[in-house]
Amino acid sequence: MAEGVAESNSEGAAPAAPSAQTGSGLDLIGLTKVFPGGAVAVDDVNLHIDHGEYVVLLGPSGCGKTTTLRMIGGHEYPTEGDIVLDGESLVDLPPHRRPTTTVFQHFALFPHRTVLDNVAFGLKMEGIGKGERRKKAMEALEMVGLSELKDRKPAALSGGQQQRVALARVLVTKPKALLLDEPLGDLDRLLQLRMRVELRNLQRQLGLMFIHVTHNQEEALSMADRVVVMNEARIQQAADPLTIATRPATELVARFMGDNNIIHGKVTERTGNRLLVEDAAHLRASVTVENGGGPAVGDDVFVSVRAAAVELADGAAGEKTVNSADCEIVFVEFLGDLVKLHLTAGGERMLAKVPGDRYHALRGREGETVRIVWKEGDVQLLDA
Amino acid sequence: MSSSSTPDPPPHLDLADIEEDELEVEQEHERALGEQRGAQRERGGGWVTLAWAAPGFLWLGFFLIAPLVFIVLMSFWTPDTSVGFVKDWTTQNYSDLVHPFSLDNAYWKDMWRSFQISAIAVAACLVFGFPVAYFLAMKVEKLQYQIALFILALAPFWTSFITRSVAWAYPLMGSHGALNTFLVKLGVSSYDHPLLNTQFTQLSVQLAMIQLYILFMVTPIFFLLAQVDRHAIEAARDLGGNWWSTFREVVLPQTMPGVVIGSIFIFVLTMGEYGTVQVISQGAVTTVGVYIQTQIVGTQYPQGAASAVLLVFILILGVFAITRFSNLREDI
Repeated sequence: MAEGVAESNSEGAAPAAPSAQTGSGLDLIGLTKVFPGGAVAVDDVNLHIDHGEYVVLLGPSGCGKTTTLRMIGGHEYPTEGDIVLDGESLVDLPPHRRPTTTVFQHFALFPHRTVLDNVAFGLKMEGIGKGERRKKAMEALEMVGLSELKDRKPAALSGGQQQRVALARVLVTKPKALLLDEPLGDLDRLLQLRMRVELRNLQRQLGLMFIHVTHNQEEALSMADRVVVMNEARIQQAADPLTIATRPATELVARFMGDNNIIHGKVTERTGNRLLVEDAAHLRASVTVENGGGPAVGDDVFVSVRAAAVELADGAAGEKTVNSADCEIVFVEFLGDLVKLHLTAGGERMLAKVPGDRYHALRGREGETVRIVWKEGDVQLLDA
Repeated sequence: MSSSSTPDPPPHLDLADIEEDELEVEQEHERALGEQRGAQRERGGGWVTLAWAAPGFLWLGFFLIAPLVFIVLMSFWTPDTSVGFVKDWTTQNYSDLVHPFSLDNAYWKDMWRSFQISAIAVAACLVFGFPVAYFLAMKVEKLQYQIALFILALAPFWTSFITRSVAWAYPLMGSHGALNTFLVKLGVSSYDHPLLNTQFTQLSVQLAMIQLYILFMVTPIFFLLAQVDRHAIEAARDLGGNWWSTFREVVLPQTMPGVVIGSIFIFVLTMGEYGTVQVISQGAVTTVGVYIQTQIVGTQYPQGAASAVLLVFILILGVFAITRFSNLREDI
């Protein structure tokens, strides 16, 4: 993994090692967590998050996203680095002294308390009087539409209702940043889809900083202002959802986000900033790189093309040209509004996503050969 | 925590649709569950259940219910010095026990002593047992270590209670026993005039009881602590609770059933104790258990039965009081 990948691709990311922070927002500076036994959970993470920003930490399990969140919340102590919120370091503060609150995975409600008492808990800890905290807790319950269930115990609520109690319970304490650990993981899919919209709307209305951890790519893309993709304890790429989806920075991001065709080959030609890449199966793709930079002829490179950018060419297979391939259809997968074609080109697995209305024309054509094409502009050179 | 400015209009989640969807899903679950139960009934689940329960019923009937009924009957029969009892109905056994209803009456004096020993045992087991349970459940992370430490705590119970009691009476509690020798070495006691009078005294009985019964407190508390959601504890810390307030507001309320169960066990078992009392005190301390045992040994069966029935009533009252106490849930 090339050094500086995260920095070069993240908009507004903190510089590598800033000495002092006085600005507004949250800064993670060289944040590192090594667990006893030597496992590195988080390795030199640098990130700046603005107030009012919805950031999603995305990655496979064990990538360090949850540990990062727990360090921000004060539930893990960093081995190295700093966490600065509005110019004030949080590292030495225990969780209850930090202006952050966490919505825990599985909600972590207090089973022996009523909904109202769950929500009022944070205010009770602040020493606010009974009448006042009940009033504020009721307001928070109204906000999430649960005021009628205030006297129930958590066990008598559905998953979605518990989720909303957990939200009300943290919002009532007026945190500067809300940390959400897999907040939609325990919900049915249908409810998940709706809660995405509602959660995001709530965040917009509150204008609060939300930091949301998930392993679900679709959830991250649909909710975030900025997606931070993590893998093996490091930030792979931090960018807006469109960039993450269409311009993955590294091979790992391209593979993790899925539905990317990754071509591993050698640079065979370089004309100015235009590279020609050819893989072992003589599949060729061209890509334009920034002025002066990029690999030279003979270098080993990875490029990617989104499955959705791949099209079926009319006509039969012909001579091999750049940015096209003759493929055998392995499986035609119908996804409702799209058809996903699983293909193989000389042993190389390829994917193409075409509009769903083509399903009738494609159904049952496994074993046939088709020609696929893509545009040079959709080819992305990956840092490997 | 600084408050963020309230936006206008007030934020809210628009959840009417979600509510509907969820309701549908829930109704679906209920329906499926209902069908499953119906199927079980059709398979004649009732008879099978009864068959499984029968051995337990028989056992309890013969060895618990029948003897209890017999003791109650016995307590209303007339004592007889030659054969123990004759089946003539009387309430004299009870009126002898409650006249006089004061500590001048040996029965109530022994009852009061039992209660003192029992109450102190419950309190001490709670005070010393809770930290042990907390350590095992919260601080020992690996299950293997928890099991190993539990077995270690159980080690004294591998010997018979007579052996243990004898060990308590002489080598441990005697004036040249381990406890006093330790105090002598500390320079706070002497062999001629021990600081703690622990040979054949109520104090020695008391200390033995605490050691014998503390696991009855540790075990239920441990199991309840083990079930407390660790994330809920983190959530409490996160919402502004320090260690003490988190313990008081989140951990303790969820552990109360364990405290109650442990207290009931120890209260009931120590109130009726006579074997340990006799071995440890060598007859110098009498409790209500010893009182009843003396009557039985002296073939005063109806009087002994009446004493026992009254003790059972007092135990029921005590258990009731303990459970009432636990219902004092702190309101927010």
